[in-house]
Amino acid sequence: MAATEVEAGPPAARRVDLIGLGALLVAGALIAAIGMRLITGSLAVLATVLLLAVVLGLVFAAVAGGPDTRRRLAPYGLLKPGMLWLALFYLAPLFTLLRASLSTLPSRFAVEAEFDWNFGNYADAFSDFGAQFGRGFLYAGIATLLCVVIGYPLAYVIAFRGGRWRNVLLGLVVVPFFTSYLIRTIAWSSLLADSGPIVGTIEGLQLTGLFEAAGIIDNGRLINTPAAVIGGLTYNFLPFMILPIYVSLEKIDPALIDAAKDLYSTAGAAFRKIVLPLSVPGVFAGTLLTFIPAAGDFINAEYLGNPNTTMVGNSIQDQFLVQNNTPLASAMSFVLMIIIVVAVLSYTKLLGTEELS
Amino acid sequence: MSRLTRRQFIRRSGVFGAASLALPAILAACGDDDDATDGAAGDGTTSGSGSGTSAGTSGRTSAGTSGGGGDGRLFFENWPEYIDPTEDGARGTVDRFKKATGLKMKYTEAFNDNNEYFALIQPLLGAGKKIEPDIIAPTSWLAGRLITLGWVDKLPLDQVPNAKNLRPDLIKPSWDPTGEYSLPWQTGITGIAYNLDATGRELKSVEDLFDPAFKGKIGMLTEMRDTVGLILLGMGVDPSTIESFDQAADAFDRLGAAKADGQIRAFTGNDYLDDLSTGNFAACIGWSGDVVQLSRDNPAVKFIIPEDGGISWADTMVMPKGAENRDSAAEWMNFVYDPVQAAQLTAWVQYVSPVAGVREEVAKIDPELAESTLLFPDDATLKRLHAFANLPEDVEAEFDVAFSDIVGA
Repeated sequence: MAATEVEAGPPAARRVDLIGLGALLVAGALIAAIGMRLITGSLAVLATVLLLAVVLGLVFAAVAGGPDTRRRLAPYGLLKPGMLWLALFYLAPLFTLLRASLSTLPSRFAVEAEFDWNFGNYADAFSDFGAQFGRGFLYAGIATLLCVVIGYPLAYVIAFRGGRWRNVLLGLVVVPFFTSYLIRTIAWSSLLADSGPIVGTIEGLQLTGLFEAAGIIDNGRLINTPAAVIGGLTYNFLPFMILPIYVSLEKIDPALIDAAKDLYSTAGAAFRKIVLPLSVPGVFAGTLLTFIPAAGDFINAEYLGNPNTTMVGNSIQDQFLVQNNTPLASAMSFVLMIIIVVAVLSYTKLLGTEELS
Repeated sequence: MSRLTRRQFIRRSGVFGAASLALPAILAACGDDDDATDGAAGDGTTSGSGSGTSAGTSGRTSAGTSGGGGDGRLFFENWPEYIDPTEDGARGTVDRFKKATGLKMKYTEAFNDNNEYFALIQPLLGAGKKIEPDIIAPTSWLAGRLITLGWVDKLPLDQVPNAKNLRPDLIKPSWDPTGEYSLPWQTGITGIAYNLDATGRELKSVEDLFDPAFKGKIGMLTEMRDTVGLILLGMGVDPSTIESFDQAADAFDRLGAAKADGQIRAFTGNDYLDDLSTGNFAACIGWSGDVVQLSRDNPAVKFIIPEDGGISWADTMVMPKGAENRDSAAEWMNFVYDPVQAAQLTAWVQYVSPVAGVREEVAKIDPELAESTLLFPDDATLKRLHAFANLPEDVEAEFDVAFSDIVGA
């Protein structure tokens, strides 16, 4: 409706729109430029003043103009807080990272990298850390899948069979979160230790051969194997899968299932045709909440893995904090981000629902 | 000592708030700032129990606040398990120092790995800012780097009369040719540590680390000079003669291959002790004193200098640029270079003391210990020890890149 009004409106009104859009673009560009440190020092102060002037100018134009101008400018004014917030806390850091990823360290122990459009960092990120990227996504993918397999039935039982225990059961899912993520992961490293209770039990039950055949136990050890890393990821991100699935299941009216059964549907068909499609948004949200952080995780691989199971998160952490190679680490972070965005967008295309996309 | 408290040393959030995103910091933050020493020192703010009552061993009665500017609270950042704590009725070095001098002192154990620690201080010292500790204890090669970069101050050695007790072979060492910037804290031996329960047999040589029977149960250090140095010795190359990367290339290949085929379970810093004690590591590269200390609690844990030879090294006290409590620091160095004090330290940490005359004092405490060749290497032992060559910067860069390609994540 607004669009048709603009089409029909006089040329002056269209110009007002352009003022609003222009002001937003100028403000965004200024913040980005400060973020990338293209302008620094007193220039940055000037830019900040200009930024404020642009915002105040828009407000002034809206207040001074007639009701018509005000109405046309209103959407931009309303967008402004959100846009500026995003620019300040997302775009500016992002541009800083982008700038760092295109920089070069002038010498081995230099603190500040120099910006010189060095795309070589991206080439290094791919050539030196291809395996870590691959493992990161592979482990995160398997862990996400395991989370669905474990989390869905659990959420289903809580939602449909939980009865008055529902809230208690849901609480029990969340309770482990009261302990630090790190502590829980380190606890697993004791539980899975070579002389620990789990390996001991498996040995006691004479099942070592079976587990070795399945590739879970390697030369008598459970910890420091890929299985331990994937297990750790699954354990740590499981609640992020259960909760969204639970929410989408809980919204389903049980009468729908009764109706299906009244129409001579089997329980399996009712689940397939009614419950499953209606819970897809929950599975979709759960997989995103699990996969995205798991792909960048480094704690599980650090404490439960070995030198051959490092994920991309470990490499980024190592480059940032141990090697002090900020440019390479930034380039790797960017590549990771881009791959995740592309993956999520294609996934959304595939499974996206109206509620989310 | 529990698993967690031992891990707290890894990195301290209280020391460098900026690094608090690093995961060990999160852990460290779980404990109170002052717990991190595991009772080794207690909090400096409590200032010892005998504050003001003692004359002080050095005969000086300086009050903490007069200590060469600063807040008068000496801050020493060291490696874990590297000082005798106050326990079993015996007063630890820090507490003895506080009682003797009336000075305040804070002692932390933030070192886990030299490279990690360097990465932590580099952004600050490199930008000309101060770091909190007055004294830090990097290994000699890192001390050499800090000296070359100009990131450390000269020590107030004129206020440390006991510095004359420095062992003769450590005077004006290769990493500090003028001897003005560093004073060794402890020296020691890198060799092989193993858990007899997990290996089922005694180990003898570096080759044992590559035994397929221990696949996935071998630990190696993230300290390049220790790990590569020991492998070089195993190949019959003396690491003190290394001048170019080519001379060590075979050792890197060997290490890379051992990592790739899963022989190596983990590359660790000082945190290898847990895995060794629980038997997750059947064998690993380790540091003499650490392992000897551990074997007191767990007799299955053994330390050997392999028949191919061992690596000798030194951790050395330096004062980061701009450190404020210079007078207190001098007082501290003087205190720990008193053979009587150093002997109590040695009896607990079980490393090779850099202080001459300690052996006689240790003999008074524990005659048997004074005979140990791991603490007081005899000539035969000394012949088997080799220090890693002092690498020129461009060569060191090559080594570092090759090493981090293998051990880095």
